[in-house]
Amino acid sequence: MSSRRSRQSTAGVSRISDDQIIELVSKLQQLLPEIRDRRSDKVSASKVLQETCNYIRSLHREVDDLSERLSQLLATIDADSAEAAIIRSLIM
Amino acid sequence: MHLPHSTLKQEFVKKWIMGLQRCKFSNKKMSIFERKKAIKLSADTAMASARKGLTCWSRALISNPDRPVPTTTRRASSACKKIVKRSRRIRRTAKCGAARKGQITRSIAQCLVRKRTQILKSLIPGGEFMNEVCLIEETLDYITSLRVQVDVMRSLASASARASEPHN
Repeated sequence: MSSRRSRQSTAGVSRISDDQIIELVSKLQQLLPEIRDRRSDKVSASKVLQETCNYIRSLHREVDDLSERLSQLLATIDADSAEAAIIRSLIM
Repeated sequence: MHLPHSTLKQEFVKKWIMGLQRCKFSNKKMSIFERKKAIKLSADTAMASARKGLTCWSRALISNPDRPVPTTTRRASSACKKIVKRSRRIRRTAKCGAARKGQITRSIAQCLVRKRTQILKSLIPGGEFMNEVCLIEETLDYITSLRVQVDVMRSLASASARASEPHN
């Protein structure tokens, strides 16, 4: 399946080996906290893809929440503390 | 192409601070929503430019920073559920041996992988134009960069929270 599709989409690239894909998928497995902690040797490709999508979505959500929180915090940095002065001098 | 975490972090912090300074937060007339958008935009731009043009997703993100968040997920996951239900029905009524069942399982797996690859393509900036190997490599890099971004933003948020506390 994968070699047929890749031959259609990339004219210049030679056949992509299954080993390459397996190696990349295992690297992806190492990054994902859910699968890494479960310690099972064989995780299906579709499961890895699903966990990857969920993980990326959760990271996006966290960036969004942090941006919201920072927007509220940076609005009110008026205090006299040393940290406030540092942040003010860095960012504002 | 893969940088160590600390180098990437330093690059990101440097670029993000430059971007935040340009936002002029001292202007009190900014609404919280405008400020949030500015913070997010500068963080995304910093994250992408820290890769110095070496990855597809970073170039795509810089050229198109306001990508709408894809909402196709519910449709795709209900499509997957339909596929699994259909396969269970087929397996129950199949009178053939193990070979045919193996074939069905394999085609279900292939279908799931195809659907989930599509979802992943919609999540990575510029993903629609990538082949499978490129997609997975870009995903690895993108996830590493996102983690750095979250890390630094979290540190700034907790530092700002401490700085906002009344001085005892």
